Amino acid sequence: MLLPLDMLRAGEWAEVEEVTGQPGWVGRLAELGIRQGCRLQVVQPGSPCLLNISGCRLCLRPGDCSQILVRPVDGVPTAC
Amino acid sequence: MLTKTITVALVGNPNAGKSTLFNALSGLRQRVGNYPGVTVEMKKGQFTVGGVAVDLIDLPGTYSLAARSPDEMVAVDLLLGRRPEERRPDVVLSIVDASNLDRHLYLTSQLLGLGEPVVLAVNMMDVAEAQGIKVDCARLSRELGIPVVPIQANRGVGLDVLTKALLAAAKGGVAPLGPSFPIEFEKEVAALQTELGGDVPGFLTRRLLLDVGGYVEQWLVGTHGGGLRAHLEDARRRLAAAGCPVPAVEARVRYGWVRPVVAAAVAKPAERPVTWTDRLDKVLTHRVWGTLVFLALMFVIFQAIFVGAKPMMDTLDGVREIAAKAVERVMPPGPLRGLLADGVIKGVGSVIVFLPQIMILFGFIAVLEDCGYMARAAFLMDRLMSRCGLSGKSFIPMLSSVACAVPGIMATRVIENRRDRLATILVAPLMSCSARLPVYTLLIAAFLRDGYPGWVPGLTLFAMYMIGFTIAPLVALVLKRTLLKGGTPVFVMELPEYKRPTVRGVARRMGEAGYAFLRRAGTVILASMILIWALLYFPHTDPTGTPYEERIEAAEKKLEGSETKAKEARDAGEAVPEEVEKAAAEAEAEKNTLGGEWKRGSVLGQAGRALEPAFEPVGWDWRIGMAVIASFPAREVFVGTLGLLYDVGEVDPKALGDDADEKGQGLKAAVRKEWAGDPVRGPYHTAVALSVMVFIALCMQCASTLAVIRRETKSLAWPAFTFAYMTVLAYLGALVTFQVGRLIADLV
Repeated sequence: MLLPLDMLRAGEWAEVEEVTGQPGWVGRLAELGIRQGCRLQVVQPGSPCLLNISGCRLCLRPGDCSQILVRPVDGVPTAC
Repeated sequence: MLTKTITVALVGNPNAGKSTLFNALSGLRQRVGNYPGVTVEMKKGQFTVGGVAVDLIDLPGTYSLAARSPDEMVAVDLLLGRRPEERRPDVVLSIVDASNLDRHLYLTSQLLGLGEPVVLAVNMMDVAEAQGIKVDCARLSRELGIPVVPIQANRGVGLDVLTKALLAAAKGGVAPLGPSFPIEFEKEVAALQTELGGDVPGFLTRRLLLDVGGYVEQWLVGTHGGGLRAHLEDARRRLAAAGCPVPAVEARVRYGWVRPVVAAAVAKPAERPVTWTDRLDKVLTHRVWGTLVFLALMFVIFQAIFVGAKPMMDTLDGVREIAAKAVERVMPPGPLRGLLADGVIKGVGSVIVFLPQIMILFGFIAVLEDCGYMARAAFLMDRLMSRCGLSGKSFIPMLSSVACAVPGIMATRVIENRRDRLATILVAPLMSCSARLPVYTLLIAAFLRDGYPGWVPGLTLFAMYMIGFTIAPLVALVLKRTLLKGGTPVFVMELPEYKRPTVRGVARRMGEAGYAFLRRAGTVILASMILIWALLYFPHTDPTGTPYEERIEAAEKKLEGSETKAKEARDAGEAVPEEVEKAAAEAEAEKNTLGGEWKRGSVLGQAGRALEPAFEPVGWDWRIGMAVIASFPAREVFVGTLGLLYDVGEVDPKALGDDADEKGQGLKAAVRKEWAGDPVRGPYHTAVALSVMVFIALCMQCASTLAVIRRETKSLAWPAFTFAYMTVLAYLGALVTFQVGRLIADLV
C-alpha cells in the first residue's frame, strides 16, 4: 500500500518508496537523506511536518514540486 | 620567519559545528572575504602550525556540492581553484557530526572527487557518546582512505592533532579516491569531456551530467550553446535506460558507499535513547505550547530592546548633545561649525543612538541561533508564512524589523532560497521600526488625544503598526506572484540538537553587528546627513547679506542678558521686572523666527515650496512636505525639522511623550495651531495628521536600510526598486487616507 507522506499519523513509521518531482528537488531531498528505501518516522503530522530520519529531525513542507510516496511499516527499525 | 603558506578550505553541513571549529582555529585573526557578484560572505582566518602559516577559508554550510545558484557555485569554484581571488586549497577540511555520520559523509564523498587531499574532522564526539554511539576513527580512516581526527570543537579538544594532520596532508597528502560510479556513467562523462575540452575540470563535467537544471548546466549550456543541451538530454536518457537515472544514481552510489563504511566503523545502540532534545521538542515544537513559548520569548526580546537599551541610548544621546554644544562654544559661527555640529555630530549621532538596540537584538538572535531554537521558531511560523508565499525562515527577520530594518535585513541570511530571501528583504522595511515611533507619538498627541475617547490614541498607534503587519505580507505575496515568480520551493530544514551557546560566540556576533553598523554610520549616513544639512543651510545669509548665524547669535545674547537679569532679580528676592520678561520672550521669538526664515529660504525650503502642487492632494502644505523630504535619508529627522519649521527651536523627540517638557509641548501646540488654523486644510487637520502618519509608515525613508539592501543583494537595482515601490505606496496610502478622511469630516 503506497501513501503520500502527509497521510501518515503521528508516531507512524514508513519506508520511502518513491520521491518524484523536479529532479533538482529530488536531489536536494536525497542529500538530506529522504530517498528511496530510507525509513522515517512522522513525529508531528501536518504542513510542515516533523520527521525523524535516523535520529535526525527534519521539518518538511513538500509543496507543488515534489511528492513523497511511502509504505507504512510496523515497529521501530534500528537503522536505515 | 615563515617560509610557506598553505590554504585550507573548511567544508561541512550546516549544524556540523563548522563556525565553532573555524573560530577555535583562527581566534581573532579573521576577516570577511567578499566575492563580486554573490551575496554570500566567506570568512578567512589565519593560524600557524609548525612554523607554517595556514590560511583557513570558511565556506558556507552546505549539504552537497551540487550548485543550484551562483552563490553555491562560488564555493565549488573556490574548492577547484577557479576563483581569481584565492589560491586553490592545498587541503580540504571536511567536518562531520559524529552522531549523524551517514548523512554527513555524503558531502565528504563528494569532496573526495575534487582531486585535493581531504582531512576528516569528526566533531561532537561527546554528544555521540552520550547517545551510545561509538565511532572508531582509526577504522574510519582505513575505510575512507583519508586521515580522520576526532574533535570537540566547542572545547578545543583534538585541535593539535587536527592541525598537524592538515600540515602533513598539505606536504605529502594524495588525492583520495571517492566512490566509483557505474561504467555507463563514466562513459558518458568521458564523451562529454571530449566535447567540452580541457578547460572544464572533470569534477564539473560530472556535476553537469548529474545536476539536472543545476548551475553548471545553465552556465555551460550558456557558453557552449544548444548542442550541449541536446547531448546532455540524450546522455541522461541513455543512462535512465541503462538503469542508472540521474539524479538518483548519485544518491544510490554515494549512500551505497557510505553505508558499509559506517557499518564497519560505528557502533550504534539498538534503540536510540530519548535525548534532551526530544524532550524539549515535545514542548517547543508543539502547536499550542510551542507557540505560547515563542510568543513569550518574542515579548521578552522586544521588551529588552525597548527598555533595556534606554539607559545606554540616553547616555549616547547625552554625549552627542555635549559634543555638539562643545563644538558650538569653541568654534566661530560659519559653515564649518554648522557642518560639524548639525551635520556630523547631531546627524550621525542621532543614528549611532540606535547602536545598543542593534547589539541587544543581535545578542538574542545569536543565542537563539546557537542553541538551535531558531529552527524551531521557523518551524512554528511556517504555516502562517506559507500563506504569503514565504517560509518560516522569513519570520524572524520580519519581526526584527519592528525594532530596526537594518538588523532585520541582515538576519535574512538564514534563508537559502534566493527568491524568498529577496522577497523578505524587500518587504522588511514596511514593518514599523522604532524610528517611526516619535512621528506617531507627536501627531497622535497633537490631534487624536484631546476631545477623543481615551482609547483612540492607543488604537491609532496600534493601527499604525498593523499597517506594516498587513501590507508587508500582501506585498510579499504580490512579489512572489510576479517579479519573484517560481515554484513553491520544497521547504526542508534540519532541526539541530539543542546546544549551550558560548559567551564568546555570542559576544563575537554582537561585536560584528555593532561594527558593521558603525562602519555604515561612518560612511553612507554621514554623507547623506551632510547633504541634507547643506540643503537646509544654504543660502545662509538674509536678503541684506548678513549671515543668519550672526543674527541668531545676537538674539541669543539678548536672551542670555535678559535671563541673567531675571536671575539676578530672583536671587535678590525681587519680582522680575516686566520689561525684562518681555525682552526675554521677544529675544526667544526673534531667535526662532530667524531660524524658521532661514530654513524657509534654504534650498530644501525652496524645493518644498516648488513641490507644493504634489503635496496638495495628500493634504500637506509646503512645510510638512519639506519635513517629509528632509527625512528621506533618515526618518528620525522629521520631528526635528518640523520643530525648526514651526519656529520652536530644536526638539528632542524622546521628550514628546513627556508633558512636562516645554519644547515638546510647544511643538505639539504649534503644529496643532498651525494645522487647525489653515484656512483650506484647517477643518481636516486630523485627516492631514493621519495622512502624514500613513506616509511615514509606508515610506522608505532610511538611507541605512537602502545601503544594507544594496550590500545584501549586491545590486543597485533592488534598493532602487524598494525605494520606488515604497514611495509610490506611501503616496497612494496618504492620498487615500486624506481623501477618505476629508469625506468623513465633511459628513460629520
